[in-house]
Amino acid sequence: MADDASDNAHEKPTQLFTLKKWNAVAVWNWDVECDTCAICRVQVMDACLRCQADNKQDECVVVWGECNHSFHNCCMALWVEQNNRCPLCQKAWVIQGTGK
Amino acid sequence: MSTPARRRLMRDFKKIQDDPPTGVSGAPEDQNIMVWNALIFGPENTPFEDGTFKLKIEFTEEYPNKPPSVKFVSNMFHPNVYADGGICLDILQNRWSPTYDVSSILTSIQSLLDEPNPNSPANNQAAQLYTDNRREYEKKVCKVVEESWTNAYTKS
Repeated sequence: MADDASDNAHEKPTQLFTLKKWNAVAVWNWDVECDTCAICRVQVMDACLRCQADNKQDECVVVWGECNHSFHNCCMALWVEQNNRCPLCQKAWVIQGTGK
Repeated sequence: MSTPARRRLMRDFKKIQDDPPTGVSGAPEDQNIMVWNALIFGPENTPFEDGTFKLKIEFTEEYPNKPPSVKFVSNMFHPNVYADGGICLDILQNRWSPTYDVSSILTSIQSLLDEPNPNSPANNQAAQLYTDNRREYEKKVCKVVEESWTNAYTKS
């Protein structure tokens, strides 16, 4: 094939390189307004103060509401027991999702 | 013993030191982080200007889900401050939010000084004078401002 390449312009061009390895790298972050839990003041990515003390780091998840404010799920669970409003915007608290 | 409330108060303390709000200061007692002593300077261009008012803040283990009890230790003459120093302020009662901290509590009380709510009086005389006789009101305020400079008149 290499011999004919120069003569036949309409032929497919010679393969210039081969992709041997592909390392995809992705970064992610919570798409939320606040990265610190306004209740316990620890980053939502880390376990809340209560779970850190109880050694339950793995169970501590993030919760975010329809208002897009996010907190630690356990911090928020204690608060909504007495007032079912977002502590930041005072809107009725409706959970949009939880996750880690 | 470290509890969530105490750890949160440690964070509050760090915040008030790293990023001190204007005209207020506060620190926990040496042996007990659940009790804080605070100072509020009367806002400029108000009758409370130059006052240095002492307060005591007491937290429970339910903080920040429950508000602390905040009282003026210095004598105060204000429509929303009771005779015992207790403060009638919505954010310390039914409008409390667990996102508040010591800095925001003290800043709110400082702005309450010049923005009283005469509709929910804790001190009837102060509320009435504030509405009907501002000159006399300011004279009484001036007196507590002067008293605040010494410990002699403060309740312990």
